[in-house]
Amino acid sequence: MTIELSVDEAAQVRLWHRVSQFLFREARLLDEWRLREWYDEMLTDDVRYAVPATDVRDGTTDALGLVDDDAARLRQRIEQLLNDEVWCENPRSRTNRMIGNVEILADRGTHLDVAANVVVHRFGHGRSDAYVGKYRFELVVAGESFRVRRRVVVLDHETLYEHGKLSIIL
Amino acid sequence: MTIELQRPVGDPIVLDDPGRHSFRVDRRAYTDEDVAARELTRIFDRCWLYVGHESEVPGPGSYVARDVGGRPVVMARGSDGVIRVFANSCTHRGALICSQPAGQVRSFRCPYHDWTFSNQGDLVGVPIPDGYGPGFRKADFGLARHRSDTYRGFVFVTFDPQQPLTLTEYLAGATEYLDLVDDQSEAGMEVIRGAQLHGAQANWKLMMENSVDIYHFRALHKRYVTYMESLGSVPPRRRGGFGRALGLGHGANELPPAAARPLAYWTPMFGAEVRPRIEATAARFVDRFGPERAQRITGTNRALLVFPNLMIIDAIAITIRKIDPVGAGRMAITSVALAPRDEDPDIRELRKSHYLTFLGPAGFATPDDIEIIESCQRGYLNRTVRYSDLSRGMNKEVPETTDELPAREFWRQWDRLMHGDDGHHVEAAHPGGAHGTGPR
Ligand code: FES
Ligand SMILES: [Fe+2]
Repeated sequence: MTIELSVDEAAQVRLWHRVSQFLFREARLLDEWRLREWYDEMLTDDVRYAVPATDVRDGTTDALGLVDDDAARLRQRIEQLLNDEVWCENPRSRTNRMIGNVEILADRGTHLDVAANVVVHRFGHGRSDAYVGKYRFELVVAGESFRVRRRVVVLDHETLYEHGKLSIIL
Repeated sequence: MTIELQRPVGDPIVLDDPGRHSFRVDRRAYTDEDVAARELTRIFDRCWLYVGHESEVPGPGSYVARDVGGRPVVMARGSDGVIRVFANSCTHRGALICSQPAGQVRSFRCPYHDWTFSNQGDLVGVPIPDGYGPGFRKADFGLARHRSDTYRGFVFVTFDPQQPLTLTEYLAGATEYLDLVDDQSEAGMEVIRGAQLHGAQANWKLMMENSVDIYHFRALHKRYVTYMESLGSVPPRRRGGFGRALGLGHGANELPPAAARPLAYWTPMFGAEVRPRIEATAARFVDRFGPERAQRITGTNRALLVFPNLMIIDAIAITIRKIDPVGAGRMAITSVALAPRDEDPDIRELRKSHYLTFLGPAGFATPDDIEIIESCQRGYLNRTVRYSDLSRGMNKEVPETTDELPAREFWRQWDRLMHGDDGHHVEAAHPGGAHGTGPR
């Protein structure tokens, strides 16, 4: 049986496929600790990477979060990780990012609002932790591909009591 | 109560020998579950414990529910404006009367049988009251109110009705440092929304020690030091400063700022745009307090340990860190940022940004602290090495910040409380704590 897609639907499927592939590639680069590549090839110059506090659920911006990196601080974070200066990531933990429920919330022409669910498993120093959350991305359309301009990870945990720390990039 | 007064676990844990400049702690203090259980009754059931900041309950009926000393409590501001701390447990059959972490209510309604308590703690509603005899009086079933008090906006509670010290007496020399924090705004200080709720698989006392330990800074936080040096900051050792014992287990480190302070100490890392505003604030502090005290408030960093489990770190941002034991080998950590209520929005953003660079579970320093104290805890599994050494600075008249005086002050009070001396008397402070009473 063949399913006939309308032109519009086919375009949507292609877009969704490209977005998904982009997110999967990002996850793979992060899992493989190819952080400079990720930074150079997949992010905009004015990228923002944020993880809000677990006790603030209303998206307010005046609250203190867990991470709120501009491009410079994110670059710093990456260099520290790659130069083995992060004591708790030396030896490097093994991570596995599982991404699902990829959804294009809005196509704004020059950029897309994208949502996905994510579980990041982290193993290292005798521990295993899982970070469960929701990705909220702003993807700038760059030719056939994208660049991330805004990358917010809303954790679903009530606290990070079990994890203690968040030393990897989610 | 002779059983209570027995030593719980054989040999002494704290070996304090000032004559030989020797101070050792038996590592059972961090690993033994009997010690942990005894800490709850001897320390957390008796001391004044930090609950929260009054800005967290700003208006009538606002409340926060949290655990203090292992007990669920509610800190609520009544319709009468008074802040009270209640047991978060229904006087009927025990359910939490408050299951939200924060909110604002006229009354607390227990979900189990709908008993209703006013935000001042009185029992005001009992469904189907004809089930109770004439001797039943609502007045007997108000929420259990804990003894609480506030010092400069910091709310504390004690579960010991016999605690002989008032809060101010208990805080001893720590009040000097709380004053330096609360003096930072005429409009009052406030907790910024967004708590960093995390923890560590390590004994809670390791985090207390770590929080007043500047000796580890250059070694463990190399990445942060490198980063800050690239922004023009000066590492602790070259800044000097000193450690202090403040009596009754409290201690502090005080030293010139590493880089900048959002309140009123500008350096280029904050950017030229905010410079006039920050310098204007600095001038206002000189008018208000005179040059010497203004300098101490605005131009000095400090870390204050309030026994047993509160840290206030006042540096490039102000952190309030509450550390709660969970058995011997785990802890829960709650960190929030404190700031002037009337802070300029741009400067507030700078404060939050620099807070996150260093602090919290994803900062450039705290994750390494967590990892290293977990590493200590694992190291203690090899019981062959029995003691940890905390003697740095015992050979000096005025210990430096890279010494271990505040930690020793903590341990001396811990030892007094754990071993029967009620530890309530200021005079009982160890001779090693004498620096706490001198001028800076
Ligand atoms: S337990 Fe609260 S009303 Fe019964
Ligand atoms: Fe540290």
